[in-house]
Amino acid sequence: MSATATARPAPEKTAPAVTASRPSLAELLRHPLRGKLAVLALVAAVVVPTAALLWGTGAWPENLTADISAPLDDANRWVIDNRDTHPLFLYFLLHLSNTATDAVGSVYDVLDAMGWTGVLAAAVLFAWRAAGLGRPGAKVAATAFGAFAVCGLLGMWDATLLTLALMVVAVTLAALLGMAIGLLAGLSDRVDRALRPVLDTMQVLPAFAYLLPFVLVFGTGTPAALFCTVIYAAPPMARLTALGLRGADPSVLEAVTSLGTSPWQRLRTARLPLARKQMLLGLNQTIMMALSMVVIAALVGAGGLGEEVYSALSTVDVGKALAAGIPIVLIAVWLDRTTGAAGDRIGQGAPGAGLLHGRSAWALVAGGVAAAVAARFAVGAAWPEGWTVNISTPVNQAQAWVTDNLSSGVPLLGGTEVWSENFTLWILNPLRDGLMWLPWWSVLLLVAAIAWLVGSWVSALTATAAMSLIGVLGVWTKSLDTLSQVLAALVVTLILGVAAGVLCARAGRLERWLRPLLDAMQTMPQFVYLIPVVALFGVTRTSAIIAAVVYALPAVVRITAQGVREVDPAAMEAARSLGASTRQQLLQVQLPLARPALRLAVNQGVVLVLAVVVVGGLVGGGALGYDVVKGLSRGEMGLGMTAGVAIVCLGLVLDRVTQSARKRG
Amino acid sequence: MTAPTAPEAAKDTAADGPSDEPVFSVRGLWKVFGPKADRVPADPELAALDAAELRARTGCTAAVRDVSFDVRKGEVFVVMGLSGSGKSTLVRCLTRLIEPTFGAIEIDGEDVLSMDASRLRELRRHRASMVFQHFGLLPHRSVLDNVAYGLEVQGVSRSERRARAAEVVAKVGLEGLEHRRPGQLSGGQQQRVGLARALAVDPEVLLFDEPFSALDPLIRRDMQEEVVRLHREEGRTMVFITHDLNEALKLGDRIALMRDGRVVQLGTPEEIVGAPADDYVRDFVRDVPREQVMTVRTAMRPPLSGEADSGPALPPGATVFEAIEAVARTGEAARVVEDGRCLGVVDHAALLTVVAGTDRREEVAA
Repeated sequence: MSATATARPAPEKTAPAVTASRPSLAELLRHPLRGKLAVLALVAAVVVPTAALLWGTGAWPENLTADISAPLDDANRWVIDNRDTHPLFLYFLLHLSNTATDAVGSVYDVLDAMGWTGVLAAAVLFAWRAAGLGRPGAKVAATAFGAFAVCGLLGMWDATLLTLALMVVAVTLAALLGMAIGLLAGLSDRVDRALRPVLDTMQVLPAFAYLLPFVLVFGTGTPAALFCTVIYAAPPMARLTALGLRGADPSVLEAVTSLGTSPWQRLRTARLPLARKQMLLGLNQTIMMALSMVVIAALVGAGGLGEEVYSALSTVDVGKALAAGIPIVLIAVWLDRTTGAAGDRIGQGAPGAGLLHGRSAWALVAGGVAAAVAARFAVGAAWPEGWTVNISTPVNQAQAWVTDNLSSGVPLLGGTEVWSENFTLWILNPLRDGLMWLPWWSVLLLVAAIAWLVGSWVSALTATAAMSLIGVLGVWTKSLDTLSQVLAALVVTLILGVAAGVLCARAGRLERWLRPLLDAMQTMPQFVYLIPVVALFGVTRTSAIIAAVVYALPAVVRITAQGVREVDPAAMEAARSLGASTRQQLLQVQLPLARPALRLAVNQGVVLVLAVVVVGGLVGGGALGYDVVKGLSRGEMGLGMTAGVAIVCLGLVLDRVTQSARKRG
Repeated sequence: MTAPTAPEAAKDTAADGPSDEPVFSVRGLWKVFGPKADRVPADPELAALDAAELRARTGCTAAVRDVSFDVRKGEVFVVMGLSGSGKSTLVRCLTRLIEPTFGAIEIDGEDVLSMDASRLRELRRHRASMVFQHFGLLPHRSVLDNVAYGLEVQGVSRSERRARAAEVVAKVGLEGLEHRRPGQLSGGQQQRVGLARALAVDPEVLLFDEPFSALDPLIRRDMQEEVVRLHREEGRTMVFITHDLNEALKLGDRIALMRDGRVVQLGTPEEIVGAPADDYVRDFVRDVPREQVMTVRTAMRPPLSGEADSGPALPPGATVFEAIEAVARTGEAARVVEDGRCLGVVDHAALLTVVAGTDRREEVAA
């Protein structure tokens, strides 16, 4: 039981741990919580002995499983056999996939025809125009220039164009789809109520789980990659559009109504313009999620930069992976800065007069791009051969040096591989074995109890059902393996993240220094994190966990810092005036009052950690993630899909277990 | 008429202006919030409950209870009360921004509650426009386009609405700020935009919902004088909601004083200050400088022999404050003269009685 003792408390105790130290706020919560605990104790006293007698111990029983992989394999075979003959494909899906391929192909052709000078000029001028004309505009334009120049220098120009082409089509579709859904949800309460849980759930599911159904229908290739990107990236746009429409200042809407506007006039002249800022934020998030997915979709034949990373990772060629990973990061930064800056400008602007505003500025952009496209005939369309830098050889040499010198035998410290081995031996394995040792029914009970304590009985029901489904699918052991990795990563993330967040909130200078780093880290696609981790720690379970920690850390730090900083200043002042020490202020005022933020940090942390732990199947994470990879690469749909569904279920369980009822209600 | 100050002049012309024909006519109006709100006005037993009992029994809150009044053409009708008295709900019921629960509202004899959506839009577009406490300006539009918004909604062409908006912008004193955004203006300037937006559609009635409550005192006074000026120039009917008694007394031709959803007293400022209907109103008006509100018509007594021929002459609408000045200057009792006829006189004693408020106590005793 010693192993489980470290494992279980993770989701259960991290949030309430704060509760213990404070009497005042706990008063509010203690009563319902105490009531629930009493009920639980009673139920446990009855159920546990009964269940122990009935089912004994051990993993999910064989006779309660249902094999879905065989029917799925059949379905896959049927799809492959009928792809060219069945009307469903001939008249519908085939059109979809042909249109998708054509659209991406023609965008790529256009980019290609513009030549590198044209694309570079378009990226720079567009960034400059979107971010405004002053210093911020110049900064964003410089970022754009740097990003694309480096893409070319690293010899990734063509792959970058391919990724960009896919992005252009995917983001356009996702934004339109999201906007349409968001409009419906923003205008109709019923649609909003129906859609919100769906969108909420879609946002917690790991990108990895989206791939397989699309492969089943469209086969590997551009259409599958495109459509799963669209579906993955549309929810933020939908959510924020709806939020913007709903959040419009009621006094403005009332005034507009009092002037006798028709509903359509209200929407066009007031509600949509007032929602602009939120919608741009939604577009920004949609773009970032699309980029993340486009890169991961390399596994289903998306091509481009993701493909380069993927093939390099599968041969553990860190240098090549880095050469493809850096452009991804730079494109992410370029896109984020450009859309973010455009969002910042809304509502603060005096529409000044002058040559460089409105239409004339756009004309300037168009003119500049045209000139640059013309210039391509002078310098050639493809990125010049001589202007590339090969970084993969030196990087691989550096990595070899790291492996030789840092992986083991470092005096006192041990070395990366030693750490990784010890982590696996002393934390991961006991945790996994402990979870597996638990009788299956007790895991269900635990999940139900925690979800009920933290949230409502609805979330308890959802979580238990999802957990049972995992058992029924026959991937109980593998899921517990993945779960143990998630829990280990989560604990590390929370310890580091909350500590860093509190430090940030209390020391402004640290925060200023960290913020750009956190910003950059939050925009990077999950895939990219695997590269340095593999370089340092090799292909092990620990690598996946470290990548997950690094990926989830920025969000946790940011949420914690914000929560602690936004504690009611009056309460802080009162505490200081009573002579509370720094420690007392932190433990008795700031952390207790920041509890909602801490809870959110746990929830976000768990969602992000799961996403990367699963992707970690590519670099030795094993378990469910590996099944998905294997299913994709060998065409074993049944295996992959089962793992995909299990990942979805695990995501649901983890989300419900950490999401408080108040946030949902 | 002795040289009146600006507000008094406004009131006087307004007093000449209003005919008896009502613009808005409100009868037995109820607005109840809560589950199954309809049953409250329908059931006399429920209707008689006070707020706390009603909430306990039905879970409903009655914001407006059985309110009736007429707004006469050309007058400034002030609805005044403390927060929660239902005054803002009441004014929103007039154009059905809040749907009334029960009762009748007519505008120029036409039933407002039976209007369909398009008819109601017509009412809001052309006949009654509103100025809000929190301005409700569109932040993404320039001042000029905000002012022109009402005309845009009506479908007026771009060049025409801009021309008309520019006129109104000038009228409210915002020249030179046409191309600013609301976010770049001060509170007072923003409210001028709100006022201009309401004026631009040339409505029959202007509705003001605590328009100046969010402004600094000095700017508030400016804006009040602006409203007085507009009313003097155009004679437009206005319904003005406020929680500020001084504002009500300054602007109102008639005041409806609300408490807990009911109108506790409806009358001219002088009637409210001089003859409070109950202890609540009396308490409310206790600190009002009475000499500024009461007129000599109330303060005068019948002339004794000989008095009718000498002394300074005052119109019956003159305030006691003005009479004191005249009496102190001449040292004689002042005559109240209307159409060359002496109605009565006011002397030191009569004036001091008003200032001291002792006349009020006699009324109570009587």
